[in-house]
Amino acid sequence: MELYLPIAQMSVHWLIILGMGAAVGLITGLFGIGGGFILAPLLLFSGIPPAVAVSTTTSQVAAATFSGLVTHWKNKTLDLPMAAIMTAGGLAGTVAGVYIFRILRELGQMEFSISISYVALLGAVGGLMLAESLRTMREARAGRPSGGRKPGQHNWIHGLPLKMRFRRSRLYISVIPPLVLSFIVGILSAIMGVGGGFILVPLMIYLIKMPASIVPGTTLFQVLFVTASATIMHAVDNYTVDVVLALLLIAGGVIGVQIGVRIGTRLRGEQMRFLLALLTLGIAIRLLYDLVVTPEDLFSLRVGDM
Amino acid sequence: MKPRLAWLGFALAFLALVPAATAANLVSGLSQDQIEITSNYTGTDLVVFGAIESRGGESADSPRDVVVVVRGPDIDMNIRKKERVAGLWINRHEVTLFGMPGYYYLASSRPLGQIASPDVLARYQIGLSYLQAARYSSASPKEDRVYTEAAVREETKAKLYAAAEDGVEFLSYSLFRVRVPVPAGVPRGQYTAEVYLFQNGNVVSAQSTPLFVDQIGLERRLYGFAHRSPWVYGISVVLLALLLGWISSLVFQRR
Repeated sequence: MELYLPIAQMSVHWLIILGMGAAVGLITGLFGIGGGFILAPLLLFSGIPPAVAVSTTTSQVAAATFSGLVTHWKNKTLDLPMAAIMTAGGLAGTVAGVYIFRILRELGQMEFSISISYVALLGAVGGLMLAESLRTMREARAGRPSGGRKPGQHNWIHGLPLKMRFRRSRLYISVIPPLVLSFIVGILSAIMGVGGGFILVPLMIYLIKMPASIVPGTTLFQVLFVTASATIMHAVDNYTVDVVLALLLIAGGVIGVQIGVRIGTRLRGEQMRFLLALLTLGIAIRLLYDLVVTPEDLFSLRVGDM
Repeated sequence: MKPRLAWLGFALAFLALVPAATAANLVSGLSQDQIEITSNYTGTDLVVFGAIESRGGESADSPRDVVVVVRGPDIDMNIRKKERVAGLWINRHEVTLFGMPGYYYLASSRPLGQIASPDVLARYQIGLSYLQAARYSSASPKEDRVYTEAAVREETKAKLYAAAEDGVEFLSYSLFRVRVPVPAGVPRGQYTAEVYLFQNGNVVSAQSTPLFVDQIGLERRLYGFAHRSPWVYGISVVLLALLLGWISSLVFQRR
């Protein structure tokens, strides 16, 4: 049955959208990330206008994030002061991002900007993940333990001012790195519809050196506030949040997460990261292909400013 | 067969109702004067029907042609042209066409070229190749034409523009009928169904009937809600998302 999306003003088959939600939920369940970075390109491929795809994805990420955050809240695996600082940076970034988004739309470079940001980000993240998972797999086969992080290592980050003590993370660092980091991710969130968890998590662990057990909960807290406010700002500024599309995606996601978690328990960490890396690179290549190959028609039409 | 007979009956009843004084030698009507887009709207067919009154058969052997044009509300289109920059295709040039029809369907009883001269067709904007915007943002007429052609191509691909040169179906010597597909994705607003009667290459009679396309029900309310009170709408979407997320986390725990 075809369903009419009131904001996107087009008909879609509800099963396709539900399936996309489920596929992304599957990834959430498997890898513990929001999956927004895969959802937005999938929606683009299915013909949803880019602006609607990105804005609506943020609401789906908010839903997925909230469901994960509930668990972390109960287990107290989050650092609230750190989360608060990151949320402040993230919200500022979102405001900037929604503003940039509007300018890009007016310039007619929306589609291109979304695609090229995705190619860069997915290419980088996918490539790093692929290299890391291959190395781990090779080392595991050779019987060597994989190298963990060295504790107590100091770098340039410790020379920055405005230091603050974070009890839960057992850190005494400047608030500038988390602020800057979350600001940048906030911008990405608004422009690309991603939660940013997949960028924040590694950076919080390797750069800011937060304990790995506290990072996901803290990041989810930040991502929740950023995506929730990005959804509201897109609705107010651009009128591009489609509630029917959002509900379908979220409903599909709930089903997918269940399946993903079940499969996830049977796979090893580096194998999962290998799969995710392939998927990420695949999407990056597909998006890049669309940018490089000579288009069928050089002209494109946009009605109004959608 | 049933709907066909029904339309025939409708058309005849309509003919009977039309007072002879106001009627020229062309009468036409629509199967519906309002198309409602609901949540499961996937397109519908509008039927334009009509009759040509023949006056004592004085022109029985000079060919009469019927052309039906259904036009959607005027919209502004941004046409962008991609150029290759450092190996990547980027939108570089843009022309805005102000006042293009948001929907255009043409049906004729014969190929347009056989019905009238290009001059006549252009005057009435009959035919996809004679469509024009009311105003252009570019300065050169040559560029206008290129971008208008691109717009027609894109809209044809989206099934919002179409032309059927054998789309007028004659049920008898004087009764005709046209099926107009109205796909999902048509703009909302006021449409007009224009019926032209051509004889010897000239329009001898024409009729225009308004038609409304609108979202109704939930879609209408959601769209209106999103535009009237975007803050409340945005916050509601987020709360709804959080509620669903929370429910799913409960399902998780029970597992």
